[in-house]
Amino acid sequence: MIHQHQPTPRTTSRMLNSRGVGGDSLDMPVDIRFVWGSIILVFLLSLLPWRLMDMAPDLLMLVLAFWAVHENRRVGMVSGFILGLLLDVHDGGPLGQHALTYVLVCYGADMLHRRLLRFDLLSQALHMLVVFMVARLVTVLLSAWVTGVWPGWGWAAGVLIASVLWVPVGWLLLLPKHRLDDVDSEVG
Amino acid sequence: MSASVNLELFRRGVPAEVKLVLLVVVSLVLMFVDAHSRYMEPLRQGLSVVLYPLQRVVMLPRDGIAMIQDYSSAAALLKQESEALQRQRIELAQVVANAAQLSTENAQLRRLLGVVEGNPTHPTVVVQVLYEPSTPYVRRLVFNKGASDGIAPGMPVIDEGGLVGQVIRVTPFTSEAALLTDEKLAVPVQVLRNGLRLIAFGSPSNGRVEVRYFSSDADIKPGDVLVTSGVGGAFPAGISVGTVESVERDSSSGFAKAVARPTSYPERYRHFLILKVEDSLQMAAQPHTESVSGRARRGEQG
Repeated sequence: MIHQHQPTPRTTSRMLNSRGVGGDSLDMPVDIRFVWGSIILVFLLSLLPWRLMDMAPDLLMLVLAFWAVHENRRVGMVSGFILGLLLDVHDGGPLGQHALTYVLVCYGADMLHRRLLRFDLLSQALHMLVVFMVARLVTVLLSAWVTGVWPGWGWAAGVLIASVLWVPVGWLLLLPKHRLDDVDSEVG
Repeated sequence: MSASVNLELFRRGVPAEVKLVLLVVVSLVLMFVDAHSRYMEPLRQGLSVVLYPLQRVVMLPRDGIAMIQDYSSAAALLKQESEALQRQRIELAQVVANAAQLSTENAQLRRLLGVVEGNPTHPTVVVQVLYEPSTPYVRRLVFNKGASDGIAPGMPVIDEGGLVGQVIRVTPFTSEAALLTDEKLAVPVQVLRNGLRLIAFGSPSNGRVEVRYFSSDADIKPGDVLVTSGVGGAFPAGISVGTVESVERDSSSGFAKAVARPTSYPERYRHFLILKVEDSLQMAAQPHTESVSGRARRGEQG
């Protein structure tokens, strides 16, 4: 379960200095090239056939949401919409399906980002599980209504897996930032 | 620090809620318009042209691996293939002799009956599977050639086993085909044994083809071979479609349903053949590209 810290002086000072996991993005922005590089990489990965698996997690949704939380001013709903539309064209499915999912997810991330940045990655993942689930449910219901076919429950498992992946993927994506922080602390 | 934060807040401009509502409405409109009409095709085609280089780049490793595999197993494969071809050649020699005899006989009979000679052969394009779209409820394949190679919606896709599917969407460099087992595809077929005309529908749940809506006393039984009947003009007559596996007769409704296994192998190979059937232009429901020819045709009829 969630590991609740007692706010020791050390962790408080860490929070104030915005170091460690879940640091506030306002003072130490991640390199913009890294943010977009990771998004484009995951988008390219999403063009590969592994998403054919029934319970494949939507990694693009995960990374978009992650940056929508951690780099709120750079990645948002418009980026999600455009990437989602491109993915819809690739899939040949109903146009706007992924776009809608990503817009909803990015909005959820935008709403929660101030709160989420105070938590560690595991608690963030629990919050985002709800956001992912709601966003996917809305689009799955809509596309089931539009196309007249219920796609089964594989997507729900995919959402669960995506939420679990929030922790390792988030750790990876925050690596350069930690390194910057370390350099900073050594210099200071 | 706080000043810069405030500046950033002001620089954002449009509030998140406005953006959300706007983008959600656009997505919804796209979904509904796309599901019910083809007005979104230009947008889709434009985006797919943007996407095409990315798709090719991403697929490069796969193509590379396939090439290396092909290369390394070339000798063994060639041996196998040559044996298979030998066997086929012997088998085909008999069929050819038979066919030649039949075709002369057929021509003679046609002359006797006064039937107009149809054009049995069509120009073809060899295509390769680019990828399989990952939508859960449709059976589709995307090929690496599109409108620039003369492919149009409605053209049939075949492999050596028979009918694979039908092209349903074309972009300049790619084309998307619905497989036989796709629910949206309906193929006019004929039982080879007795010429009974039926319509085959896809049933994606089990990778089979279903023949529905025929009376329960119709002469169809397991083992019957279904071929395209040529009715409707989209599919040329005589392409193998499937072999009937089971027939369910419902005496209360008076209708029967047969389930057939497709004779083609869309899941096995990478290369397929698209038949450039002229009539398919007329069949395809794409108003803006062939409205002229469509109007001309209607004019001729009217």
